Amino acid sequence: MSFGVLDRRLLVVVGAGGVGKTTLAAALGIESARRGANTLVMTFDPSLRLKDALGVSEHARERPVQIKAGTPGRLDVALLDAKRTFDHLIETYAPDEAAAERIHGNRFYRDLSGNLAGILEYMAVERLFEVSRDRTYDRIILDTPPTRQALDFLEAPDRMVHFLDSGATRLALKPWWERGGGIRRMPMRLAAKSVERLLDRIIGLGLVREILEFFRAFGPLYGGFRERAAEVRALLRDPQTLFLLVSGPGSDRIPDTLFFARKLREAGHPLGPLVVNQVHPRVGAEHTVRASEGLALFRFLGERDHRGLVELRGLLGSADRLAAMPLEPTPPTNLASLGTLGRALLVQLS
Amino acid sequence: MVMTVSLLDRLERQQLIVVTGKGGVGKTTLAAVLGRRLAAAGRRTLLLEIDPRESLHQLLGTEPSGGEVVPAGRHLSAQNLQARSVIEDLVREKVPLRALARRIVESPLFQHFADGAPGLKEMAVLGYALRMVQGFYRRRVDVVVLDAPATGHGASMLVAPLLLAQSITGGQLGEMAAQLGSFIADPGRCGVVVVTMGEEMPVQEAIELVQLLDQKLGRPPELIVANACYPPPPRTMPRDADKMVATLWRERHAVNRRELERLGHNWKGPLAELPLLPVARGPALVEALEACLEQEVS
Repeated sequence: MSFGVLDRRLLVVVGAGGVGKTTLAAALGIESARRGANTLVMTFDPSLRLKDALGVSEHARERPVQIKAGTPGRLDVALLDAKRTFDHLIETYAPDEAAAERIHGNRFYRDLSGNLAGILEYMAVERLFEVSRDRTYDRIILDTPPTRQALDFLEAPDRMVHFLDSGATRLALKPWWERGGGIRRMPMRLAAKSVERLLDRIIGLGLVREILEFFRAFGPLYGGFRERAAEVRALLRDPQTLFLLVSGPGSDRIPDTLFFARKLREAGHPLGPLVVNQVHPRVGAEHTVRASEGLALFRFLGERDHRGLVELRGLLGSADRLAAMPLEPTPPTNLASLGTLGRALLVQLS
Repeated sequence: MVMTVSLLDRLERQQLIVVTGKGGVGKTTLAAVLGRRLAAAGRRTLLLEIDPRESLHQLLGTEPSGGEVVPAGRHLSAQNLQARSVIEDLVREKVPLRALARRIVESPLFQHFADGAPGLKEMAVLGYALRMVQGFYRRRVDVVVLDAPATGHGASMLVAPLLLAQSITGGQLGEMAAQLGSFIADPGRCGVVVVTMGEEMPVQEAIELVQLLDQKLGRPPELIVANACYPPPPRTMPRDADKMVATLWRERHAVNRRELERLGHNWKGPLAELPLLPVARGPALVEALEACLEQEVS
């Protein structure tokens, strides 16, 4: 059976770090465009080599850049950059100049927004929202950050909605110890005072105030966040979406891969075939002579990877849910070799 | 590799060693190797893992930690630490009323704060390590080897205290941030070991990490370890090698050399190369790599 990988509008490529996700996403993009679909590849952090292979410049951080691939369909690449998306978001949605200024002026934003937990993931969601509405594209291929963060990424819309519903922001917008309320609220205010003293002793009130100020400056942007997060949440579970899970070879990667597959299924994401990438070839075992030292290593690696595939096939219960891609002697360095890889992957996937 | 004996000596004198690098390069394996090496030198060593999916125990041949300190050999113990539970313990410690502490810890606002406040988790883990070597807890250790998260987050772990110390003045957290900031920046007490592989992205991340350490903390890492290097192919391939394997061997080795050369242009400090070994991931691999590292570094 075919998963119709290239029938879907959104392909999300997920997996652990260092397994070659980004390269496979780009290769799929070329094959998709070669088959006539206008395709956008969104990626987080491609290597210089891949950027060179695609011929994509830093401009792709601002907006999608068209690749001269000579394919019937158009091929665009967008590089995801959390900080820039964040800035862009503020410029777009802040109600006025002063609100934008307040956010930009906040020390947290300046020093830490690049590191802020979840920001990168959330910003990717924002970008996905933007491009999914762009009808220029028949197909979007989204490359995600490595496993743990990829989970963060997929959960970002849920987390954001949950956060907005928790009332935490309301509290941040007007902290309880600053609320009015006259004499009736007196005991509350006294209690608040002692909480304030406690907070000051433990974490320093300066920090609390800065964080609150940060949230407050963000206040006007919250409504839009909620709506967009809900839309992306639905998109990531749409039948027109398919997740491709990429794994490294070898049996020691299996627990990781299965963990991730289970998480995706539990969250209701449509999971396609598993791609086991960078598989070492099996070295002919028919030779009875003692293998030379280096060759013993290759024999070990070939057997290790083969065993991993067999185990994984057994666990998945059906062979066609798994595509094995060989370890290439050299990584693809141009559009032609990326295209070849894309065709080979599609053959494996269908 | 040209290296002086003083490198291992220096690592042996440190109180915290942070092992960091891109995902998938073998950080946890290297942390286990270093932990064993330090323990063998007689240092009471704690291996600290902060990944909710434990894997360190597989490399040490111990039971999973489940958050507790588990023995892993003479002078060696291991622990899988949840940053969140360290933060909660801190609240319980600071808030004397148990009921109140529980209400704080269970409130959604606190949970969002603990999850989202920049640098807080990193600080909690580093603070725990510092307290461990200061003998704050019943079980005292001489050195903590920290298996840090993959670079992006690993780097923020190293610079978080400094950034926080700049933002906060006063309060216990502010004092702690300042204290941890100077601890991390002091090469006499804290060592950074960067793990990489002879491939483009891991090498790029290693180079960027070296620059970041220099800019933010004004210090270099102690050591860069290039893991899983393909062995040099022989001039003439053995007769039992088929063509595909021969090409793969030559090309993969060439990629390793090219990338490590690029690393060499950007890093003049100690670099240890560890080979890809025909040994499955587990205690045997850790033991074999320990011998390789020993040889590389002396």
